[in-house]
Amino acid sequence: MRGQGGAPRIGGSIMRVALALLVMYAGLAGGLTYWQVVQAQELTEAPGNPLTLAASRTEPRGRILDSRGTVLARNIEGEDGLPRREYSFLATTPIIGYKSVRFGATGLESTYDAEMVGLGRSSPAERLLRKFRSDPYDPQDLVLSIDARLQGRAFDLLGGDRGAVVAIEPATGRVLAMVSAPTFNANLIVDPARAEAAFAQLNEDPPEASRLLNRATQGRYTPGSVFKIVTAIAAVGSGAVDADTVYEEQPAAEEDGLRVEGFRIRDGHHTFTGNEALNFVEATEVSCNIYFALAGLATGEDDLFEWSRRLGFGSRIPFELPTAPSFVSGGTQAEDGFDDSVELASAAYGQGETFVTPLQMALVAQAVANDGQLMKPKLVDELRAESGSVRTLSPESLSRVTSASQAALIQEAMQAAVEGEFGEDFAGAAKVPGVPTAGKSGTAELGGEGEPHSWFIGFAPVEEPQIAVAVIVERAGFGRERAVPLAGQLMETYLDLAE
Amino acid sequence: MDGFTLTLWVLRLAFLALIYLFLFFLARALWRDLRASAASAVRSLGRLVVLVSPEGQPPEGASIPLDAVNTLGRDVNNSIVVEDQFASSEHAVLTFRGRAWYVEDRGSTNGTWLNGEAVGSAAPLGFGDEIQVGQVRFRLDRPLTESA
Amino acid sequence: MTASRAWRVRPRLRPRELGLLIVVAATLFCGWVSLASTEAGELALGEPVVLLVYLGLLALLHFSFVLAGRRMDEVLLPAVGLLGGLSLLLMARLPQGLVVQSFAGRELGLGPLQLLWLSVALVLLGTLAIVVRSDGWLRYYKYSWAAAGVALLLMVFVLGEETNGARLSVSLGPLTGQPSELLKIILVVFLAGYLADNRPLLARTSTNLGPIALPPVPYLLPMVAMWGIALSIVIVQRDLGAALLFFSVFLSLLYIATQRVSFVILGVLLFLAGGAVLYNLFDHVQDRVDIWLDPFADAQDTGFQLVRALYAFGRGGILGTGLGAGLPSVGNNLAIPLLHTDFAFASLAEELGLLGGLAILALYLVIAQRGLRIAASAADDFRGLLAAGLTLVIVIQAAIIIGGNAKLVPLTGITLPFVSYGGSSLIANAIIVGLLLALSDQGVEPPPPRRASRRERASDRARQIGGRIEEALS
Repeated sequence: MRGQGGAPRIGGSIMRVALALLVMYAGLAGGLTYWQVVQAQELTEAPGNPLTLAASRTEPRGRILDSRGTVLARNIEGEDGLPRREYSFLATTPIIGYKSVRFGATGLESTYDAEMVGLGRSSPAERLLRKFRSDPYDPQDLVLSIDARLQGRAFDLLGGDRGAVVAIEPATGRVLAMVSAPTFNANLIVDPARAEAAFAQLNEDPPEASRLLNRATQGRYTPGSVFKIVTAIAAVGSGAVDADTVYEEQPAAEEDGLRVEGFRIRDGHHTFTGNEALNFVEATEVSCNIYFALAGLATGEDDLFEWSRRLGFGSRIPFELPTAPSFVSGGTQAEDGFDDSVELASAAYGQGETFVTPLQMALVAQAVANDGQLMKPKLVDELRAESGSVRTLSPESLSRVTSASQAALIQEAMQAAVEGEFGEDFAGAAKVPGVPTAGKSGTAELGGEGEPHSWFIGFAPVEEPQIAVAVIVERAGFGRERAVPLAGQLMETYLDLAE
Repeated sequence: MDGFTLTLWVLRLAFLALIYLFLFFLARALWRDLRASAASAVRSLGRLVVLVSPEGQPPEGASIPLDAVNTLGRDVNNSIVVEDQFASSEHAVLTFRGRAWYVEDRGSTNGTWLNGEAVGSAAPLGFGDEIQVGQVRFRLDRPLTESA
Repeated sequence: MTASRAWRVRPRLRPRELGLLIVVAATLFCGWVSLASTEAGELALGEPVVLLVYLGLLALLHFSFVLAGRRMDEVLLPAVGLLGGLSLLLMARLPQGLVVQSFAGRELGLGPLQLLWLSVALVLLGTLAIVVRSDGWLRYYKYSWAAAGVALLLMVFVLGEETNGARLSVSLGPLTGQPSELLKIILVVFLAGYLADNRPLLARTSTNLGPIALPPVPYLLPMVAMWGIALSIVIVQRDLGAALLFFSVFLSLLYIATQRVSFVILGVLLFLAGGAVLYNLFDHVQDRVDIWLDPFADAQDTGFQLVRALYAFGRGGILGTGLGAGLPSVGNNLAIPLLHTDFAFASLAEELGLLGGLAILALYLVIAQRGLRIAASAADDFRGLLAAGLTLVIVIQAAIIIGGNAKLVPLTGITLPFVSYGGSSLIANAIIVGLLLALSDQGVEPPPPRRASRRERASDRARQIGGRIEEALS
């Protein structure tokens, strides 16, 4: 007891403050442990880590090879005596990107920076041992799923036009070719003597003709009629449409258009289909706007969103390169939903405010070809270390979009769209001689002057498909004029190469 | 793994180990200190026994344990409040300076008295000595032993 | 010379301090060889002059303490000595051109400059520890100190120069300093005096404002004043770190003095309210918080420092890269901007790993334990509050910047005590430890008598001898 009026002694509260400090420091210790143990490897491999930047100045860097071992990128010694990258093909630039001391890294050079420098994922024991080696780096070669011959062929077929081509192996999601045109010579960017000028020149491109943009993953286009396949997947997947579904109002509406809340949806095929009500396969074959508008209305907004989401719409597709999200909507940023039935009906047959990337549309074709199973697209098959160890990156599935039987119906419809009596007129040029081929052409009207975008998605052979493609050629006219024959030649090339 | 790298790592790990050795010694020192202070914390330095207190505050017979610095006076901010009409608000201070007790007057009106003598600046005192503040008289006693 | 002086000058051995300092010397020597060998690529000693000067200084301090013969704490000096040594190891391996100043016609780089500042700081620390024998100059002039503090603050507001977006430095002629470092000491001195004077009367009373029981006005006023000072520092100086530090030290002291959790809660609520308003009004506050929440969102620009710091933590891993094997710079650019001041901890954690980082945390906890121990056994409230406040300044400041480095709290530009480069910071923290050492001597004189004539002092001496005899007898 202290004298009267004295406050309690401060010793007790000092103890409690000390305890609070202890808790605070325990928190700090926890935070350190988190970054230095739990997150350590991830941070070390991050592309922006200056360690990889520093290592790339002096250390050897892994090569990039195509699926058959052709060298796509390797290190050479520059005139200044420092190591520098050399790229073999112009066509692979959108995939590989560049690695420059001055301008950083893009493409796979950025994504797999740590692995190629040799800091890649390894077991904790290996990591510990690596500390005790005088040369701690173990550079790894990337082996891509890309076939350089197919890649080159696709680039040549675009023939200087702006556009993009994506080819995927349906069963695995392996990307066989991914072309974006126009592109640039990455060898100029990595050459210190010429980089500055080359970069300045690239930055002067008008936005729509940018050579830095990877159109295949980040170009967002109005899909036109190829989007009908997305509507078809949603309609068939949700059960709103089956093989026998016909809309009685459809034939009559062919004459002067289908009125949806006063808005008129028109069609152009009635001159040769007559007044028969079309079923699903027939409607796909002739790309019937009215049928798909009605199918979209019958499916409803919620289900259309649900199945497009399963296909990858609405978010960034997980991929080794940066991707732009595709949207089915009235808005541009998110799935805002549709304001009214007019927007829903327009979106269902491929007009309206929908934007898609070529990669997204290639995945739509891939999912249909792979019996309704969407695979994660991938570019790198293997990481081969100099020390001989090989790490294989296995295919991964992303989502089950439809059942196999539902997918089979859509496959049948897409085959009709290429090989059918009327379909032949639209997309017959995509047929690979002697091989059953499926697909859907599209023409994206852009409003204003100029030619529309020419679209095609498809796959071949229909049974046991080997390749699924999406092709867009900007401002090249109707689908059948440009994208369709291009896709046909591409698929033929690939099937020939495979033999 | 070459020899130099190995040596370097031995050095690096030895450095870390030495830091922890240092921390270990620190911890041991702190632990000993804590034990020593735990033993001494219970013991107070001394106590004041109230012999006479006409106004009852502090009560007669009370035994007040002392800190190293104890102020006496009427003001409530004093560690020992002396409610007495002849005490000043800041009357006296009783301090233990490492080895001995001292009492000082703080400029009180009626003075502080040690064994009947007026106290000026710090005056040393021992156990058994009597202090008077106003009409209140205290005796400095040795601290109570822990077992008692 | 009085008799008591003569007694005090009798040397007193400090074996525990000596032992600990020997371990510190061995540790730093090992670190130095490791660093020099890493840099040279073969077993090497580098230029050990810097290290030897530093170790010599520590030894000098130790022997001065022995000769001074005071019963001071024997743990603080080795703990601070090791932190300072780690700082030297770090500064010696960073690009020396980071900071260049000329002294007497000689250009000094980062390492030598830090050694210079450390020496000045250690000498100051030792001087204070030996010379300060009375706390009256702090105790009785609290309002003068407060006035000096406010003047210092105003000086920064008016004369402050911007560095790194915060207005911290003041130049007086050739010298540049950061007054907020001194301000924190003045603040603690004032608060300790104020709270010690008022706590007995007011610990149990409160001002009732309707149903809400507010602290009594004498607590409310400084609380609001502190809050205002903290806010104005954030607004005018753009120095979030100092504001956070001042306010948390204030709240801790308030709690120690009153033992009332409600005051602390009220203070925290005030702080949060002020923070919310500042967040909405000021871009720089908003930026700091946004960077903290997601530094990777803008990793190339605003989040750059923090992201780079996290990479450094990641590179370090558990064992670290080893001294000298970290990555302070890429080409000609620092891997983390402000590596030598704000991010000294991240840099050490990279080279010494998680183990090293935890050890540094432990060193600050040791300082905390010593300081609070000194506070708990202090002779009276003023000294207790002073010791606790001074300790908290160091320990909380370290926690704020370490937490900032590791993305646990928003990053603020304050230094890591004894480790970061910078004269103001080193000197201020040395003053703190010097005072703590002086306070740890239980024989520090109590409040001096207000009036004492020479004759009385003489008779006092005579009685002192009598008292000692009496003690010996009893």
